[in-house]
Amino acid sequence: MFARRSDLPLDKDALSRFLPWLIAFMVFLAILAMAGMLVLNATASRWDQGIRSTLTVQIMPAEDPAKDDERLQAVLSVLAQLPEIDRYETLTDDRLMKLLEPWLGPAAGSRDLPLPRLVDVELKTGAVLNAEVLSRQLAALVPGTSVDDHRIWLKRLVRLIQTVEGLATLVLAFIALATVGTVVFTTRTGLDIHREAIEILHLIGAQDSYVAGQFASRAFSLGLKGGFFGLLLAVPTLLGIGYLAQQMDSNLLPEITLGPVHWSVLAGLPLVVSLIAMVTARITVMKTLSRML
Amino acid sequence: MTTDDSETIVRFENVGLRYGLGPEVLQDVTFSLAAGSFHFLVGDSGAGKSSLLKLIYLALKPSRGLISLFGRDIATTPRRELPAMRRRVGVVFQEFRLLNHLSAFDNVALPLRIAGVRKSDIQKHVVELLSWVGLKDHLDARPPTLSGGQQQRVSIARAVISRPKLLLADEPTGNVDDRMAMRLLHLFEELNKLGTTVIIATHNSHLVEKMGFPKMHLDEGWMEIVGADTDRASVPPASEPGPGGGLFDDGEEDEIRPDLEKLF
Repeated sequence: MFARRSDLPLDKDALSRFLPWLIAFMVFLAILAMAGMLVLNATASRWDQGIRSTLTVQIMPAEDPAKDDERLQAVLSVLAQLPEIDRYETLTDDRLMKLLEPWLGPAAGSRDLPLPRLVDVELKTGAVLNAEVLSRQLAALVPGTSVDDHRIWLKRLVRLIQTVEGLATLVLAFIALATVGTVVFTTRTGLDIHREAIEILHLIGAQDSYVAGQFASRAFSLGLKGGFFGLLLAVPTLLGIGYLAQQMDSNLLPEITLGPVHWSVLAGLPLVVSLIAMVTARITVMKTLSRML
Repeated sequence: MTTDDSETIVRFENVGLRYGLGPEVLQDVTFSLAAGSFHFLVGDSGAGKSSLLKLIYLALKPSRGLISLFGRDIATTPRRELPAMRRRVGVVFQEFRLLNHLSAFDNVALPLRIAGVRKSDIQKHVVELLSWVGLKDHLDARPPTLSGGQQQRVSIARAVISRPKLLLADEPTGNVDDRMAMRLLHLFEELNKLGTTVIIATHNSHLVEKMGFPKMHLDEGWMEIVGADTDRASVPPASEPGPGGGLFDDGEEDEIRPDLEKLF
């Protein structure tokens, strides 16, 4: 006899028919946007970390090749005294050749080619070193020495990623707004359809919150249902995108993988959307009923 | 009028009602009903009986005048407090207004559920009351599958299940046979004896004359109370039999008079 929880036939109206599908679509888009945001966020912070902690010192070859080692040692002795530096490493000729090979072809292997000496410098975590000052100091000691500050170009990349990340956040905000708008519309439709029943409940002594609670719990369960379908559609899509990215094997693309924390966040999205639907339905009903006697 | 507000359940002072820009359907209606009174509301079709009841059960606001319910002016009562007032009023609507997707049981249980009564208590009282109005075999039936008379009885059971302080019934016996009509009126009478103030709108002048309670007579929007001893219409205290006592032969009366202690 108590099988029916709702005093209103909400399972037979527009709210019940369309809301799960609309929410499934919203959750699908939200998961894609959120996944993109998480990947970009991880990449940006990884690169940001790289910017802050690495430098490259370049020592141009001297006219007299015999002095190259001497010039290198002079630079290294300065680097060794800097407390901000955690580690530095002189790139071997072989590694240097390898780096140049994509650009110069087999000619890069020629020992006759005057090559600069490169020192890869890694700073201590949190340490701040003014690359410009260091560059001037080293150039004064060893002419033709420069410090390549990675910040200059990596900063632009990070900014680009952060912009895309911001756009993804904006997309998420639009999806949330669209969800709210959809729920408001369907709830109002439901209120119109059930006006007579709601009036009866009112006359029997039901508080607005009693009626609103029925709409809210219905919106929540429909939201969960739709959200679950949205999640089911989004997971294979994400896995597919990840697989395609792996196949491309490009060093330029950021690593498109999601960790367990990321997956948990994405799995929680249907619940978040359902809660948004529930709260929206409740507020809509309370506002509408407050205009009744 | 020398009415003590603490004993007055309903008070109207110069109440007027018009729908939109139309003419006033109620004009300068002034009366007060004491706690425990029993009145018939009579008048021709279109005289304003249903409108008057709607004002009392807070479905309409008056265009002018003052209405007080349970001693409170409804114009100054905050909206959030109106549901609690409505829960003290039982209404039998002329057109029943049952929720068609709910069973007879659930329709009758609704006021108790809204009031937060425990499920076990709801089960007991609803089944007993529906049995008393002859619907024991229709507990799970949806209203559209019930006859007009059966729907009316469900509607009455819903109105009285929470033992309201004020019971308003709009043509409550219009769709049932004479015997069931008497049975239902006895239910109202017994409730009245326990302190419920009752107003029954009806066209059945035979019934009104037979029961002998005071009449609120509406004629083209004007109202007068007929048959009350004083300016305040009321019936004897709950412990004494009302004017309707003795309507039935002794044996018949025992059969159709409800035992409210058992029902509620």
